[in-house]
Amino acid sequence: MTVHTPIETGSRGIPGWALGLTVFVLLVGGVYFAGNLTGENPPIVAPPSPSGSGAPVLNAVAIIDEAACQSCHGPDLAGSGAFPSLHDIENGPVSENLQAFAEEHPDDWAEIWIAGIDPAVSDPGMRGGMPAFAAPPYELTAEEIAAVVEYLKSLP
Amino acid sequence: MAVNPKKLRPYDEPPKVRRPLVPDTPDSAATAFLVVSLLWLAAATGIGVLWVATLLFPGQVALTLALELPIIGTMGIDVSRPTVEAGFMNALVFGWLSNAAFAAICFVTPRLTGERLRDDRMGFGAMGLWNVGVAAGLAGVYLPIIAGSGPLAEFPLPAKGLMLLGAVTVLGAMGRTLMAGERRLPYVSILFFALGLLALLGLLTISAAAQFFALDGTPMALVNAFVARGIVTYWILGAALGSLFYVVPRASANPLASAGMALLAWLLWAAFAGLSAVGALVDPSVPFVITTIGSVGTILLVAPVFLAVATLALTIHGRWSLTLGTGTLAFALVAMAFLLGTALLEAIGALRSVQGLIRDTEWEMGVWLLGLLGSATFAFFALLDHAAPRVLRRDWGGSIAVDAQLWGSLIGVVLAGFALIGAGIAHGALRAEGAAAEEVQATLSWFLLVAGAGLGLVALGGLAALVALFVMYTTARRAEYVPAADAPAGEVPAGAQTAH
Repeated sequence: MTVHTPIETGSRGIPGWALGLTVFVLLVGGVYFAGNLTGENPPIVAPPSPSGSGAPVLNAVAIIDEAACQSCHGPDLAGSGAFPSLHDIENGPVSENLQAFAEEHPDDWAEIWIAGIDPAVSDPGMRGGMPAFAAPPYELTAEEIAAVVEYLKSLP
Repeated sequence: MAVNPKKLRPYDEPPKVRRPLVPDTPDSAATAFLVVSLLWLAAATGIGVLWVATLLFPGQVALTLALELPIIGTMGIDVSRPTVEAGFMNALVFGWLSNAAFAAICFVTPRLTGERLRDDRMGFGAMGLWNVGVAAGLAGVYLPIIAGSGPLAEFPLPAKGLMLLGAVTVLGAMGRTLMAGERRLPYVSILFFALGLLALLGLLTISAAAQFFALDGTPMALVNAFVARGIVTYWILGAALGSLFYVVPRASANPLASAGMALLAWLLWAAFAGLSAVGALVDPSVPFVITTIGSVGTILLVAPVFLAVATLALTIHGRWSLTLGTGTLAFALVAMAFLLGTALLEAIGALRSVQGLIRDTEWEMGVWLLGLLGSATFAFFALLDHAAPRVLRRDWGGSIAVDAQLWGSLIGVVLAGFALIGAGIAHGALRAEGAAAEEVQATLSWFLLVAGAGLGLVALGGLAALVALFVMYTTARRAEYVPAADAPAGEVPAGAQTAH
């Protein structure tokens, strides 16, 4: 069987230089803290920066904020984790898996995708597309979806 | 056809030894965690090379599919830069490093308490739970419909649940072993492991709860940032320090230089690792002074790291020649150097003036890689080098594969880490000058090429570690008692009573 022995220690005390160094580092930290008491943190989730302005766009930003699109698509909607970028979609979707779908519906692919790709299915969560938007508690209206799409298409 | 049993030959008989599905032999849990961790290292670094390729060729290295499945409906599969990056980080932290940390716990705890792990079946089961969770979570990262969001939080909820169960099981096995051992203040390695494991459980629970309650954008981002930083500072750093405090005295055959310094390092680490995680809460909704306290925590983490490294260096005193070859102490020495360097770089990165330059650049990933693939990886390599012959009961003096593991990984980490740090500085500077995106990409591509080559070398180092383990298991003599680390292989005959 394997022999187990405790690990011996040479000394139980703390050398003076180690204590001095610790105090020095603590002092450096304290000085830095005292010099940085006031200021403004940048946002961890950067707000989207629309290229234009106006009522529909502002409305869309509110809808997007409420629906927390940024939690999936990234702080500036430029994509995050497994979720694609929502920028530069004026001429079509960025995701390759939507290319064929967009060719079938060149004018309203985005609206259909957000609302769910099969409106005949009663449960919005089972329609595919963007069920998070179409399902409760969001249940976006056609006008709201149109505003969101208009805004997204304005993002460079 | 009828068979006359009297005419059966021995080779006609079926084998009578039946191996249980869940082994209960001493160190079976540690062995399983060690082997699986190395497989994850090879997988993680392979994904890392792919990640650099997605950075070098944006939009070209990507695969997105939409599958029409019955019941589920449309199932998207997205293999692109964000998902590959998430896969790389998660495979690295939860695959390689966490499995290695669990192996360290299962290997070290019995040897410091003088009790068998209680029990190895629990540990082995924990290995299964954890790794099924990690594998499922990693697959889930590429499925947008079930993936979470945020650094180290992308795994789907069921995967996190399995991982939590696995971690709780390891904690249970560790706790029962400690309770069975001596009732005095445990050795400092146990303190590092215990607090790190408790923190991992707490942080994974917080992450799962945030996902379960589907927090809004900003709160979710804050929780994820806190959890990711906490996992690195408490769990990964704690397990790495705990491993080094075990293997360095063992491999050098010297007593620990100062128990007081080690305990002070643990106390300061316990305090500042948490503060450092608070520093990740950067948002206008968080009072500025709170974020500053967190930044100070990151700066102050230099103190416990320095104390730990100093204690370990003093412990090696008189045996420095052992660090010149390839072996446990060489790996440990590299880990100590990376620990100091990473702590200093993180402290610099925590300064407000520097944050303005490097925020959202490659700097952060570079420092992460130096910490994860440098400090922690080499600490666990040291543990692996020390533990593998003991758990596999082999008389082992190393091979050329161990040299390849050391040098491939060392050169690779240095190249990858500092190339990304350089890319971050260049990116920040070009951004401040208002450079065009094409110019930024062209400049960064050189740094990224170097980083990719570095990660490739680390991947080769990981493969070399696997080869070394295989060669050891298949070619080395079986030894009931393995030679002590300070004795050259071959001088101590198999059967010598020296193992720890």
